Amino acid sequence: MIQKKICMIGASGVGKTSLISKFVHSMFSDKYLTTVGVKIDKKTVAVDGAEVMLMIWDLEGDDDYQRLQTSYLRGSSGYLLVADGTRQITLDQAIEIQGRVTAAIGPVPFLLALNKADLVSQWEIDQSRVDDLTARGWKSFKTSAKEGAGVEEAFVELSRQMIQPP
Amino acid sequence: MSKLERDSRAGAVLEVLGIAVFVHASGALRISGQPPDWLRLIWPTVTEPDATLPGSSAFLENFLIDARECWTAGGEKRARSGPWVEQTADGNELSLEATALTIGGQAILLLERLGEVFEAKKSMLQKARETVIAYQRLNSEMQKKEILLHCISEEMNAALANVITSLRLIELEKDPTRIGQLLRLASRATEEQQTLINKVLNVFAAELEGLRGRDGTAMAQTQLGDAVRAAEENVAPQFADKGVRLRLAGSGLDEMRVAMDSTHLTRVLSTLLENALQSAPAGDEVRLNFAEESGAILIRISDNGPSFPPDICANLFSRAATAASGPQASHLPLQFCRIAVENCDGEIGYESRHEGGNTFWVMLPTPAAPK
Repeated sequence: MIQKKICMIGASGVGKTSLISKFVHSMFSDKYLTTVGVKIDKKTVAVDGAEVMLMIWDLEGDDDYQRLQTSYLRGSSGYLLVADGTRQITLDQAIEIQGRVTAAIGPVPFLLALNKADLVSQWEIDQSRVDDLTARGWKSFKTSAKEGAGVEEAFVELSRQMIQPP
Repeated sequence: MSKLERDSRAGAVLEVLGIAVFVHASGALRISGQPPDWLRLIWPTVTEPDATLPGSSAFLENFLIDARECWTAGGEKRARSGPWVEQTADGNELSLEATALTIGGQAILLLERLGEVFEAKKSMLQKARETVIAYQRLNSEMQKKEILLHCISEEMNAALANVITSLRLIELEKDPTRIGQLLRLASRATEEQQTLINKVLNVFAAELEGLRGRDGTAMAQTQLGDAVRAAEENVAPQFADKGVRLRLAGSGLDEMRVAMDSTHLTRVLSTLLENALQSAPAGDEVRLNFAEESGAILIRISDNGPSFPPDICANLFSRAATAASGPQASHLPLQFCRIAVENCDGEIGYESRHEGGNTFWVMLPTPAAPK
């Protein structure tokens, strides 16, 4: 079985832990509980006939209180860059963090998860911004940790990109 | 005291603190002294002195790369892992932190189970991040409101300009047919303004309903116990910092329900507890009493601090307090409490006691029997 390390990266409160919780344990809670430090979960996914064991590193949100520790990214085959679709600023933060991650570990596969897609009336991220990122080669998914939409798809697609020969 | 005795005493201290000390030699990490109890919850084979730490933690494996760099550098250099969570054999979670250092030429790895200090830090971070998120949402909402206000002003201005122009032209006009046309134009413009004003009022009314804790069809219901525990959790670090105890008094907390939105109730209770804490002497206590009284729940939060002067008491819940500076500034969120409580048909008040001390009380209707 192929084993891959992936990291969940993004600003605080965007739903990194909730995405893992939905993907690994099929659970969701509305209550926001901040992550302090790191927690690692595992899940096996089937990708194009191959079994991939994902070691998912849930990293503390990057903010003024705690910057992303790049040593945690060591050995990552890819990462899920998460933004909160109801807070435009978290997309700006995600773009800035992505620059730091690339500087630290080089160009590895990643996907942008625009989370909280169920909160349609509060959605703040313009499609034009997403289109700009797509034009730069970014692949994004609208995800909802609450309803599960796009969650499995995002992890599977990231796994697919990681196992593809360069 | 001999070196052996000193080492033995230092080892005993670390044991009491629950810190596991590993010595790195020949590529393996061997525990020095008796392993703390929590260690075997994660690594069941590490039960005896000199046992080897198995390489089963992905996090620790990653940290050991930094640790080896630190040991190679020697001297006073240290490497800290930052906190991480390990799962125990029985499915529970423990928060740990590792430190690599060199002592007397020996490569040492300390593994510490994080306790109360970490939980307090986590609680502070939780609150700080919640505040940042709330601020970002508020900021975004204000930006949207500003744009909306600008649009409303533009539309009202356009309608008003039509009225003014029509009236000016009427003043100069002699032809009754033309005057009639201009009056109809002015009348239509004023009706447009009226419609717009009504739309704006409807939006404000809908927002007020939101603050009332109604979902449009039914009154919100909150279990008092959940809100009290959430508020208790919010203020726990500040209480611990000042050494003040929070004493709950009353029975049936988990059976009590109030007709108020849970977020608003938690915020009201947290604010009142924070106020009581500010007044309470260090090392003293704050009391939170709750009781059911004729279809309503009465919550009383009391401290033994100095009573507020009468001029402050008069304005405690008023808008005037929000503009105040100095000692009154600490009571700024009380206006929110009043609005939130009154909007769900509750009451809020303050009493000072002759013997000293302050009591804030909140009377909230129960969902079954709203007041």
